[in-house]
Amino acid sequence: MTEAPTVLPAAAGIAPVDGEMALGRSLFQDAWRRLRRNKAAVASAVVLVVLALAGLIGPMVAPHSYDRIYPQYVRVPASFEAYPKEDAIVPAFESALARARITIGATEVNGNTVSAPISDDEPLDPRITRYLDRSDLFSNVRIDQLSADGRSGVMLADVSRLQFIFGTDNNGRDLLARILIGIRISLAIGVLASAMALVLGVTYGAIAGYYGGKIDSVMMRIVDIFYSLPFIFFVILLVVFFGRSFILIFIAIGATEWLDMSRIVRGQTLTLKRQEFVQAAEAMGATTSGILKRHIIPNTLGPVVVYATLLIPKAILLESLLSFLGLGVQEPLTSLGLLISEGAENIRGATWLLIFPAVTLTMILFALNFLGDGLRDALDPKDR
Amino acid sequence: MADIDNSILSVRKLDVKFHTDDGQVHAVKGIDLDVRAGETVAIVGESGSGKSQTMMAIMGLLASNGRVSGTARYRDTELIGLPERRLNTIRGAKITMIFQEPMTSLDPLYKIGRQMAEPLMYHKGMSARAARPRVMELLKLVGIPDPERRINSYPHELSGGQRQRVMIAMALANDPDILIADEPTTALDVTIQAQILALLAELQQKLGMAIVFITHDLTIVRRFADRIYVMRRGEVVEDGVTEELFVDPQHDYTKMLLAAEPTGTKAPPPPSAPVLLQGTDVRVSFKIGGGFLSGPPMLLQAVDRISVALKKGQTIGIVGESGSGKSTLGRALLRLLPSEGRIRFENLDLSKADREEMRPLRKELQLVFQDPFGSLSPRMTVGQVITEGLLVHEPSLSTKERDRRAIEALKEVGLDAASRNRYPHEFSGGQRQRVAIARAMILKPKVVVLDEPTSALDRSVQKQIVELLRKLQADHDLSYLFISHDLTVVRAMADYIIVMKQGKIVEEGQTADIFDNPRHSYTQTLMAAAVDTTKFRLAG
Repeated sequence: MTEAPTVLPAAAGIAPVDGEMALGRSLFQDAWRRLRRNKAAVASAVVLVVLALAGLIGPMVAPHSYDRIYPQYVRVPASFEAYPKEDAIVPAFESALARARITIGATEVNGNTVSAPISDDEPLDPRITRYLDRSDLFSNVRIDQLSADGRSGVMLADVSRLQFIFGTDNNGRDLLARILIGIRISLAIGVLASAMALVLGVTYGAIAGYYGGKIDSVMMRIVDIFYSLPFIFFVILLVVFFGRSFILIFIAIGATEWLDMSRIVRGQTLTLKRQEFVQAAEAMGATTSGILKRHIIPNTLGPVVVYATLLIPKAILLESLLSFLGLGVQEPLTSLGLLISEGAENIRGATWLLIFPAVTLTMILFALNFLGDGLRDALDPKDR
Repeated sequence: MADIDNSILSVRKLDVKFHTDDGQVHAVKGIDLDVRAGETVAIVGESGSGKSQTMMAIMGLLASNGRVSGTARYRDTELIGLPERRLNTIRGAKITMIFQEPMTSLDPLYKIGRQMAEPLMYHKGMSARAARPRVMELLKLVGIPDPERRINSYPHELSGGQRQRVMIAMALANDPDILIADEPTTALDVTIQAQILALLAELQQKLGMAIVFITHDLTIVRRFADRIYVMRRGEVVEDGVTEELFVDPQHDYTKMLLAAEPTGTKAPPPPSAPVLLQGTDVRVSFKIGGGFLSGPPMLLQAVDRISVALKKGQTIGIVGESGSGKSTLGRALLRLLPSEGRIRFENLDLSKADREEMRPLRKELQLVFQDPFGSLSPRMTVGQVITEGLLVHEPSLSTKERDRRAIEALKEVGLDAASRNRYPHEFSGGQRQRVAIARAMILKPKVVVLDEPTSALDRSVQKQIVELLRKLQADHDLSYLFISHDLTVVRAMADYIIVMKQGKIVEEGQTADIFDNPRHSYTQTLMAAAVDTTKFRLAG
């Protein structure tokens, strides 16, 4: 019982001696310095920036478009080796050419070209190259060394080597490209929904908390009513009225997430408005909006920033849930949640379809949570 | 000291450092200290002198970023670096501590009896049931009225003074050799403060333990301590027997501390001075409880029919203990709280004025708060803080002009112009109070309500703030309503005094009359508690 209330030295009055104070260092600058010293948070921030850039620029520079279908490469496993594999070229070449009903000699693979002597009883129809061109494996198909009678020659084709380092999905679309677009969609929804929750929740909570009394009661009961609406029901309602669209998803998520935010901000405001600096502003004759803008809201920002970083992963997960249920983004667009749901269906035959999107989502969530923790520690050193 | 042989706590070259983001803070710089059996030692210093950290280091209670070196021997045991388990057999049993805040040192979830039994259960292995008679005995010892009932009370049901008594009883539970009291009376009203000090002195005589008394207030110490250590910035600048130190201080810092009490008096304004702010029969009541299902609310009369008339150039001191309604009165007069009765400012009747109507008048009626840490928004620069009023009242000013006014106001309160770009947390308490005063002064008000503006400050800083306020009053012909529980400060500031108790005026009059010839018994008690210098203990 005789334990001391642990007091930080700064709070106990051992503030650094005057004199050595540098020019104006705000609380946020202090927090920033503390944050930079937190390795997990810095690493998370780097991971987030890299992933965000990947989501932004990745789809533009990726070798495949996220909606391009390669029928020959349905569900190919993840591999650094280029497709087609060496031993698959000749059979693919021969089976494609077999449809032309001509005699094919020994097929040879020479670097990036494949060639085979061909002959027929009739003069060769140059249109037979189309059989090969149709395949994703070959391009620039041509007939060379055509004999004078046109009955024999050498069929030449360039092998197009395609890389699917994350493999392809059930429709033969490159998983890497789809994950990149998925990152873009998921992060966008996370950020936009959180931003919406932030603006709505902070304003609403600050107003309710500052006015207090009956206004507060009414405003908070409205929040309670919203709380009691099941989220999925609410989303289905929205989808029924407005149809499925990208904007709707983040509005739906934002519209449910702001409730928590408004409660947090209201609680903060209730303690803040009894602080003397708020009373001082009132004694100064400041207007209500001025007090909210200059005093209340800036001082709630610490916990709000922390909560917002934890809100983003929540929004991403909610979006995943919606997509999983088929209420989210529409094909061919995709999101990480949708990719994971597809992967889960194919877990037996094509594990990579689950592993790669799941790892990406986990990385984003981990990074956001670590960053959120780091921010909390940095902004509120006394809570440690 | 010559006879350190019978010292039971002997500290040598104690050094405490804290590693913070701003580099290393050297809180205690190799001090020596001795406590002999049964004596009272006072460690005196202003905030930041390291007086509390010294004791925290000895008790092994430093914050996690603290580092200790040096030695601290209790009888034959070295305390520094002692493993936690061994340390726990000493602290809480042989060396115990009481803290400044009786509000927060007791766990609000446990009954008093249960909490007091804890040290007994832990150190003596008693069961809660077996400890009960001892708890009762302790409660009687510290003079808690009606101990049979109080033993089952929760902390919030006790007053501040009673809670501090409970803390003392807990510290005494295991018959300690040394009781460390860290500012045990600072958070209490003067009359309670005197009672607690008398209790400590009495207990010491009865039980014969040594007391280490940590405080910033030299006047308390004179009545109480055998020996004094004066600390400043982590060093002991002077130590000696109490009487000698008071009569013949050697170090400049000690002399400064002794002279730090604000002096001088204020002459009353000429009788012809016009009345600026007048309240007649002002009443403020608060609703307690009540609501949807809990029946009608109770009404608490915080201010009960009080009339005040503040003349131009006058300073009215409002004196009273916590809960007397003095701050509420100040706010009601500024129409910051809804009140009944008539309030006039110059020729305007403010009784019915709402927020909008009051806004233009706010410029004239300013308020300065007690807590310089809470009254400045931590997210704004000092410049933004002090120019906020200009944004409201003189919105046409250009940014440049506002900045000029800010510099002017800062200079007036004795701060550097460059400080307007800094944030409040970078300033000391006294500097922050100057900022708060600058915020009021920038609007060139006529009336300023000063709500305990010096209570949270060290004595030496208090004096500076009092002088600053006087200078501002003389320069601008201001009228002050000076709310304080500290009679020495009020005596120096005010020319007229109102003594309040439980929302009512018990006595009022010219400062000199009140101090020289207090008529009401409550005023007399207040005076006795604050000004008396006789020793608490009989000789020996």
